[in-house]
Amino acid sequence: MGRFILRRFMYMNVVILVVSMITFGLMHAVPGGPFDREKALPAEIIANLEKRYNLDKPLWQQYLMYLNDVFIPQFSKTAPTSNLEDDALITFKVSGNLWVRWMNFGPTFSSRSRTVNDIFRQQLPISIQLGILALTVALTIGVPLGILAALKQNTIFDYLGMSIAIFGVSVPVIVLGPLMIWIFGVTLKWLPPTGWGTKPPYILGIFPSDLSWSFWRTAIMPAVALGLGSSAIIARLTRASLLQVIREDYIRTARSKGVKESHVITRHALKNSLIPVVTILGPMMAALVTGTFVTELTFGIPGMGKYFVTSITNRDYPVIMGTILLYAVFLVVANLIVDIMYAYLDPRIRYD
Amino acid sequence: MAKPVSLQNKEFGAGGKPISQKGESLWKDSMRRLMRNRAAVIGGSIIVLLLLLAVFADVIAPYPFAEQTLVDQNKLPQWVLSLFPTMEPYAQLSPKYFFGADYVGRDMMSRIIYGTRVSLTVAFIGPIISLIIGVIYGSISGYFGGRLDNLMMRIVDVLYAFPSLLFIILLLAFFRSTFARPAPGTFTYSVSQLDAAMGGLLFIFIGIGLTAWATMARLTRGQVLSVREKEFVEAARTLGANDMRIMFRHILPNVVGPLVVAETLAIPGYISTEAFLSFIGIGVNPPTPSWGSMISDGAQVIRTYPNQAVFPALALAITMFAFNFLGDGLRDALDPRLRGTQ
Amino acid sequence: MRSKFFVLGGLLIVFSMILGACQPAAVPTPESIIQTVIVEGTPQIQIVTATPVPVVPVEEMKVLTLNMGPGDIPTLDPSLGTDTSSIQIAVETFVGLTRQDEVTNEVEPGMATKWESVVNDDGTETITFTLRDDVPWVRWNGKEVEQVLDCEGNVRMVTANEFYYGIIRTLMPDTGSEYAYVLGMVMVGADDFNNGITDDPTTVGVEVIDEYTIALTFIEQAVYNPAIAGMWIAYAEPSWLIDGDDCTEARTDKWTETGFFQGYGPYTLKEWVHDYYLTLIKNPFWPGADNIPVPKIEEVTWTMLDASPAMAEYEAGNVDAVGVPLADMDRVKADPVLSAEYMVAPDFCTYYYGFNTTALFVDDVRVRRALSFAIDRQSLIDNVLKGGQEPAGWFSRPGLAGAPTRETHPELGVAFDADKAKAFLQEYLDEKGITTAEVDITLMFNTSEGHRRIAEAIQQMWKDVLGLDIKLVNQEWRVYLSTIKGAGTPQIYRLGWCLDYADANNFIREVFDQNGSSNPYTAGEPSGGVFWKNEEFSTIVRAAATEKDPVKRVEMYAQAEEIMVLEDAVMAPIYWYTRNTLTKPYVTRTYSTGGHEHIEKWDVDMAAKP
Repeated sequence: MGRFILRRFMYMNVVILVVSMITFGLMHAVPGGPFDREKALPAEIIANLEKRYNLDKPLWQQYLMYLNDVFIPQFSKTAPTSNLEDDALITFKVSGNLWVRWMNFGPTFSSRSRTVNDIFRQQLPISIQLGILALTVALTIGVPLGILAALKQNTIFDYLGMSIAIFGVSVPVIVLGPLMIWIFGVTLKWLPPTGWGTKPPYILGIFPSDLSWSFWRTAIMPAVALGLGSSAIIARLTRASLLQVIREDYIRTARSKGVKESHVITRHALKNSLIPVVTILGPMMAALVTGTFVTELTFGIPGMGKYFVTSITNRDYPVIMGTILLYAVFLVVANLIVDIMYAYLDPRIRYD
Repeated sequence: MAKPVSLQNKEFGAGGKPISQKGESLWKDSMRRLMRNRAAVIGGSIIVLLLLLAVFADVIAPYPFAEQTLVDQNKLPQWVLSLFPTMEPYAQLSPKYFFGADYVGRDMMSRIIYGTRVSLTVAFIGPIISLIIGVIYGSISGYFGGRLDNLMMRIVDVLYAFPSLLFIILLLAFFRSTFARPAPGTFTYSVSQLDAAMGGLLFIFIGIGLTAWATMARLTRGQVLSVREKEFVEAARTLGANDMRIMFRHILPNVVGPLVVAETLAIPGYISTEAFLSFIGIGVNPPTPSWGSMISDGAQVIRTYPNQAVFPALALAITMFAFNFLGDGLRDALDPRLRGTQ
Repeated sequence: MRSKFFVLGGLLIVFSMILGACQPAAVPTPESIIQTVIVEGTPQIQIVTATPVPVVPVEEMKVLTLNMGPGDIPTLDPSLGTDTSSIQIAVETFVGLTRQDEVTNEVEPGMATKWESVVNDDGTETITFTLRDDVPWVRWNGKEVEQVLDCEGNVRMVTANEFYYGIIRTLMPDTGSEYAYVLGMVMVGADDFNNGITDDPTTVGVEVIDEYTIALTFIEQAVYNPAIAGMWIAYAEPSWLIDGDDCTEARTDKWTETGFFQGYGPYTLKEWVHDYYLTLIKNPFWPGADNIPVPKIEEVTWTMLDASPAMAEYEAGNVDAVGVPLADMDRVKADPVLSAEYMVAPDFCTYYYGFNTTALFVDDVRVRRALSFAIDRQSLIDNVLKGGQEPAGWFSRPGLAGAPTRETHPELGVAFDADKAKAFLQEYLDEKGITTAEVDITLMFNTSEGHRRIAEAIQQMWKDVLGLDIKLVNQEWRVYLSTIKGAGTPQIYRLGWCLDYADANNFIREVFDQNGSSNPYTAGEPSGGVFWKNEEFSTIVRAAATEKDPVKRVEMYAQAEEIMVLEDAVMAPIYWYTRNTLTKPYVTRTYSTGGHEHIEKWDVDMAAKP
């Protein structure tokens, strides 16, 4: 197992490298530059701006410089300054006057006073918080609904449960969001229509520092709106998988041995039936975190989603690269965890 | 997935006869069980109905989908007003449009009917691409394992490491701008003409197709991995069955259930991807009607004219129900272990 | 059944554990701000928990919440601002040499109490501005607004030096200011310096006479020179903060962040949570002036919401004024409460379609006129835009200095005329011997819901009136920009223009004269946009810039408009913008026509606020 993880970890680096290469090539292949304006800038100013951001260098050189800034830890004898160029995601002091700076994702072209790392530090945690909450909503609704439907297959519970699940997935956030705002935010005034009840600094850089009602009241609607769609997917997968598992021989054996039905389900069937659910959790979490754009826009949440969408239209190269790479690492790690969980949940699977 | 459906009539014609144990193919048996599932039958019928709507849209729709009557904008019939009485203070009535007219005075009903074309195409193309590529790819990888598996999965990993929505947006930006206004006679020109003829759907398909199959490949592999260790596979192997036979006769039928479920579950995803792209303004070209673009248009006016969001959303929901129940029925029917139990 | 609860319970436990693990030992109050404090050259993030010291008791404190629109404010740096949000903050946190009244757009005293103009022998004009000497630089220190001290401990007052620094910094090529061209256009030496032809700042026509006197030299004796001198790109900027000095660390590009920011306007920055909200706090050291009074409202917060969520917040009572989304217009107008809070005010922008006068079919002026006459602008406004916009007969919006109005020129420009449109097209078709089916014209716009609706409606009008099937193509903004600036400009393209300073020159000349933004030139020849060269037009608009007689000046611009929209018909003006706003009844306010509100003139009746 240890060897497997190590090998996967090495592959991971290769995968990320390939992803960075494809993204870099693709985004530079899209016509239009970051400094195209309605009133065209003087050539000299464009040249200056391009020099400032190293866009005047050949593409391969830009790519290597980017890799160097992001992937390779930089050693320096001087302390980091508050200059934008000096903003690495990870900075620490090794000894007396030796500093290490790692993961400098560069500036953003859309804001002169911020770097991509600033966006990561301030916006990404919000998307992750929203994603975690949405996944929790999805699991709390999806798994019980799926189990109920499977145990009562082809009964009214099954149809009703699945109908609820499908309803969740078929009403897009685009419609559900404004509807919820209208009902709970404006008409009933139970919850604030928009906003996100926490702001930097975050605990561990990710988690809200304030978990009082003022946070939850802003989080409920977006988390439900975002999570509902995924709850359907989980419910149906749980149902399908559990149906399959409870017909397995070992379940029959357990039953025939007179083990209590609830015991059979909880101890034997559930664990195995959750394999497909686990498979989908990594990608789903990633999809939830990356797919927050509509939810963020609808509920006025200052998350990461819109940065990516606008970065493409603005040709904000460092943001495009940074976002894709960060999410790629996230996805790759999620997949690795899924594989490990696989082996854990189903001992018959071997990695060799 | 399309196969059992096409067999439906033939099977039905032979129905009623006691089914012999020996000559019964897996599919036939599955069909029999599928037909017993009421929800699946209803789902299937709705899809057939939608297909008919899509094919005969020109005949059924009362107005052309792009015809605007500016003065009729946002008008609606009495029954819609009764349904949403909040519109009372400002609603302008007109019996001409059954679901009402949209913001430029286009008949909503006609657009929903024409919209089935776009949405069904999206709903079918995505799964077909990802099933074909993904299942073949995934089962080879999962079955043979070892180095081949590793190599194949790393390729999938690269695709899989891309956040799919973001990747689609980037791909679309690339395609759309690369193929924007090229000179006639070139290859890019033909491609852009084809895309224009499809209302901007071509690139959306390519984008979705390029990202979707990897999920299916992974899922297939996971299922195969779990099944290939089963006793009946071992048994087949010791009996001397070759790899192809084991894979298609023994393994695939056992893994297809979850795959079909996953795929029907993915259909809403494809359709909502299209809606999402419309929402951020890079969906189908106007005035091509798609439910996604109608919903995203309607969602903007949801408080003022709820009908403009609710009806296309309802069309979408019904389609989702149909696909989901059919998928569920298929899953139950295709599970070989259920054979003869009902 | 028990299994269900088992799983559910398990999940809840797991989640509460996750959250529990993240629970900090001591929860910082929401009031805290991050400050980077440099200790022995080591940047450390310190959480400074601020204890708010309200100047007035909290319940009586006047606060106002507005919405800025979706997305983060691009910059608070006056040299870099290009968009409404950035400039809105700049006009409240800084004051220019002059200031334009936000409603009438008249040039008024700003930091300069008076200015004198001298015409030099070479035809240039030198304006000497005398600054007021009672305005200190201020900053929010986490607790309160304080005056900025220099290295000797004296209060730093706003002087001519900072204005000089601000202007030069805007023009420096390294700054990359997008609006530097406006200064480059009017100020002596500014263009060369901005383009890096010379790196000697003394060649620029700006001179510090003494601490409170600054002289700017302009190329022409243009009427709008004082207005440009008051633009945000010519604000005073704190050189010690940006570049550093003996006692201040250089913050370079980060100088506009919360905790660093320094300004001197009626408000100053309190907190900027990126992409979420920005709060300005009253500057107690602003001495006040007739046209820039001491603010009544203590704190102003701008949310950064999309139109629909902002509308929801307004209706929920959390935002005090909001733009009305088109989608809600019918409902707002019919609602007894909302309709009373609804206000339409002019906004100085023009929406237009440009013609590539070298492209097939539209290279004939009759086709262009036919297309322009066939647009039923009033119907578009009534049925699509719905915001009480005005049908545009020409380009320079009435209300701008020098721009013709409907009163002075009732017959000017284009208006919907189906017969004329048909006649022009028929004449063309007959001459060429072709039918409408053979006319292949594409209208391109940048991808956006609003532009799409307008394009679809106009497409239908062209079909109804002229029988032409015009194709619609949209491109994403950046691609679109490069398309319409080059040889591939489509036959018809969409653009809009909003004022930078309230003068017709900013519209007619800067957009359509040679090398204007919609008429780019390369090597002295048209190379994009409308591809237009008309010497008569150029002569008129250049002469109009320096014409001192207002009546004659309007006449000249009317003549130029006639050439642009009718004789050569290089563009079809569509509509003049309005702003549709809802304001709570307890807010007393003005309605800016330039898009930047002067909040110091507003008031809130907190007692009436529910």
